[in-house]
Amino acid sequence: MRLPALTRKLLRDVARLKGQIVTIAIVLAGGVACFIALRGTCDSLERARAAYYDEYRFADVFARVERAPEELARRIERLPGVGVVQTRISEEVTLPMEGLGRPAYARLLSLPASGEPETNALRVIAGRLPRGERDDEVAVLESFAAAHGLCPGDHVPVVLGGNLRRMRVVGVVLSPEFVYAIRPGALINDPQRYAVLWMDRSALASAFQLGGAFNDVTLRLQPGASEGEVLDGVDRMLAPYGSDGAVGRAHQISNQILTSELSQLEGIAGMVPLVFLGVAAFLMNMVLGRVITLQRAEIAALKAIGYTNFEVGRHYLGLVSIVMLPGALVGVWGGWMLGRVIVGLYTDLFMFPDLAFAMSPALVASALLISGSAAVAGALLAVRKAVRLPPAEAMRPPSPTRYARGVLDRIGLGALAGPSGKMVLREVARRPLRTALSSLGIAGAIALIILGHFGLDSLESYLEGTLRREQRQDLAVAFVHPVSPRVVGELARAPGVVAAEGVRAVPVRARHGHLMRDSVVMGLPPDGTLRKLVTRGGGHDVPLPDDGVLLTQTLGEILGVQVGDRIDLEVREGDRRLVRPVVVGFVDESVGLTIYATLDLVAELEDDLGAVSSVLLRVEPGRLAAVEDRLRRSPFVIDVSDLRDDIQRMRDLNASVMDIWTAISVSLSASIIFGVVYNNARISLESRSRELATLRVLGLTRREISVILTGGLALEVALAIPLGLWLGRAWGALFMRNVDQETFRWAVVIAARTYTGAAAVALLAAAASALWVRRSLDRLDLIGVLKTRE
Amino acid sequence: MEAAPSLVLACRDLRKVYRMGEVDVVALDGVDFALGRGELLVLVGVSGSGKSTLLNILGGLDVPSDGRVFFEGTELTGADDELLTRYRRKHVGFVFQFYNLVSSLTARENVALVTDIADDPLEPEEALSLVGLGDRLDHFPAQLSGGEQQRVAIARAVAKRPSVLLCDEPTGALDFKTGILVLDVIERVNRELRTATAVITHNAPIAEMADRVVTLSDGRVQSERRVEHRAPASSLRW
Repeated sequence: MRLPALTRKLLRDVARLKGQIVTIAIVLAGGVACFIALRGTCDSLERARAAYYDEYRFADVFARVERAPEELARRIERLPGVGVVQTRISEEVTLPMEGLGRPAYARLLSLPASGEPETNALRVIAGRLPRGERDDEVAVLESFAAAHGLCPGDHVPVVLGGNLRRMRVVGVVLSPEFVYAIRPGALINDPQRYAVLWMDRSALASAFQLGGAFNDVTLRLQPGASEGEVLDGVDRMLAPYGSDGAVGRAHQISNQILTSELSQLEGIAGMVPLVFLGVAAFLMNMVLGRVITLQRAEIAALKAIGYTNFEVGRHYLGLVSIVMLPGALVGVWGGWMLGRVIVGLYTDLFMFPDLAFAMSPALVASALLISGSAAVAGALLAVRKAVRLPPAEAMRPPSPTRYARGVLDRIGLGALAGPSGKMVLREVARRPLRTALSSLGIAGAIALIILGHFGLDSLESYLEGTLRREQRQDLAVAFVHPVSPRVVGELARAPGVVAAEGVRAVPVRARHGHLMRDSVVMGLPPDGTLRKLVTRGGGHDVPLPDDGVLLTQTLGEILGVQVGDRIDLEVREGDRRLVRPVVVGFVDESVGLTIYATLDLVAELEDDLGAVSSVLLRVEPGRLAAVEDRLRRSPFVIDVSDLRDDIQRMRDLNASVMDIWTAISVSLSASIIFGVVYNNARISLESRSRELATLRVLGLTRREISVILTGGLALEVALAIPLGLWLGRAWGALFMRNVDQETFRWAVVIAARTYTGAAAVALLAAAASALWVRRSLDRLDLIGVLKTRE
Repeated sequence: MEAAPSLVLACRDLRKVYRMGEVDVVALDGVDFALGRGELLVLVGVSGSGKSTLLNILGGLDVPSDGRVFFEGTELTGADDELLTRYRRKHVGFVFQFYNLVSSLTARENVALVTDIADDPLEPEEALSLVGLGDRLDHFPAQLSGGEQQRVAIARAVAKRPSVLLCDEPTGALDFKTGILVLDVIERVNRELRTATAVITHNAPIAEMADRVVTLSDGRVQSERRVEHRAPASSLRW
């Protein structure tokens, strides 16, 4: 079959423009891939979560008490809106695992006699659930089992009610309650040292003297029930039993972290593909615009021959579909691959029974629609020029390109630049919009690199600048129950200890007017040196007031309080004392919603004699291990934490994830920069080859004409770098606003080496593409070019 | 007024005014003109006399500011873009001064551009043979001389068997010898296909090959004369 002549023209145009088409297709593919990978990861995570929560009956409400009689469960069940109630026993225990320098901790949860809880059902990965007739069987959360290579049949040592027991692992499980398993208060999850264990309730009840009672309850709500009303009802009912307040799913720690991660991912999924698609649209417009300008006479002739505007427009849009098709196909394939990598990162972080990257037809369709719209939008402006070109144009010879002395000339730059420099400046000034958009495209790519890396910088700044300045202890010793302040003195005198300071943490509910938040009051010694209050980003120290309280700035904003206001603090334990301290200031911290006061004020709150819940220690270098070891042997100590260790682990975990992100963002950004510079250079070369060849004939060297050709590009890159660095920072700030402000408020910090790295990537990609085009300059056919008519 | 049916193209009291910034430039100022079936007409005039404007209007590339245009008795005045496109597609063959070939298509494919959309076209090979390029079918424009390119353009124009062939300075970009060759082809097409042909030129001797010569000056018909004995194109000298 013979192809229509116009189709042949299209194919030959494509062959001639292959370099440009490939680079645009790559940028477009980058956009499609990012959209599919990021959006698909969001969808996959959301679907996996919804299915998991639903199938495994994830609870809607969670509450803890000191001890409550089992009969209470039936009363809770009668509350309006409550569907199912599951009581249980929940205790934190230590696991002195062999080969682990420090013991691991476990949340030990009871399973009902039936084995299958009404809420938060377990997914058995290996083995089975513990049986009622045996009191030494446990099921282990999969992350801990994997970290220690535990299988059904193995044993784990557990300190149960003061006695060391060897428990037999009968099952390895997953739970919707522990998709992200983190020890409360920890900086980061640690599968080596944090476990969740399930065992039969009666065995657990006898170990903790909780026969006929429970200390933890979870509920599922009826469809359409009001969570707020149920929470109030549960709180009222549990208050006499030492509850510290029921929470909904939004504040359940695993779900909260998962939700926060999802909202960050959604933010990125909305932002990143836009850069690619915007650049692809711009490149499409630029290249097609140039093609149409070059073929002006041909277009007019086609129209004079009798081709309709529609046929001419369709012909040029055909070029778009040729860019679109491979771009979209590669993009979909790349998105699928990239999506699997990203979901792979999440399977290391979050424990779902079935988490796999799913690429739905609807997702692919919307990716194609969005990328198609971007390409067509870019092309349409250029094609409109072709459609509107009057056919009578074909009769007229083209007029020479219009140049004028521009602003750059007028401010005297031209005089400094010499003739070659003037050519560069006037070319830039003649196309201010193209220059601006090119710079913006490159800047967007630079910003993407920064966006891919600023999280690590901000984390590093938090760890080094803030955390190390706030927390100057070597070890933090936490006690099972608050201890007498005398212990602080005893620890201070212990061998190897340089300084010891007591800290008291009390859970409270803070109220101001109708606004309320659960928080913790931290009592610190007035002249303490180990725990400092530091402004965000590691600024200056904030002194602790003798009287009144300091609020974390965000808590102050949530409660709408000013300095001098009084807030209601209700202790969420013991006899629920209520105090109304005055707010004397704010401290701008990165994490949490804490209230700070002196130890004396907290003692008043609890009506005890200044008991402390933990002690911070500074230890002589070299004696850290000995001091830590001795403390661990005390039955009153629940945890000894080494801040340096936590920080290192956080760095390690982030480094491995960030390496992948950095590789992805750098390669994608480099493809954008290469695409922009390459296309600009090709167009400059094509539109000016006659001029450049003339200059060669006049005696200019290759080097000199290269300067003229690439000077404009260098200027665009030079403009793009500061803009990109600024844009990266602005996007970082925008991204941070998507992060749950009540959990983290890291200052957006971008390290100098991230800036220089991003700029270096831009320079390298630009230089590579300019050199690529320069090869054509070296092959410039002087006689041929001069003979052809523009 | 209805134009006589033997006329292919006719126009009456044609005016065309371009607005250039603040001033109106009158390109055509009341031109009456007719082109009969099989006739070869040469339109001469200096640069700026309005001949290209007239040709553009006759070819449906442009519309007059005032006056009426008829093609085979049908009025074109006031036709919209769609109708003018259809008119060009079916009935008009154009030859441009700068050939306006599509550089990425071979000679045969450039002609096929027309045969693809015409109702009863010549085969591209046939059209190219007619202009003496039967052996250059698969050459790209860059591989052809100026005269050959212009002959491809003529083949492209006549392949649709147009009712009217409009040539704008067809020898303007060519040397004398090549120019004669191109005029010879135009003459042959006019004779063999009986296509009404209008040739614009500022080159006075070319007028001798015409049936009729119209001279334009300042947007008006300055003179019109019938040539008793058409000189063969090959005999022309300038």
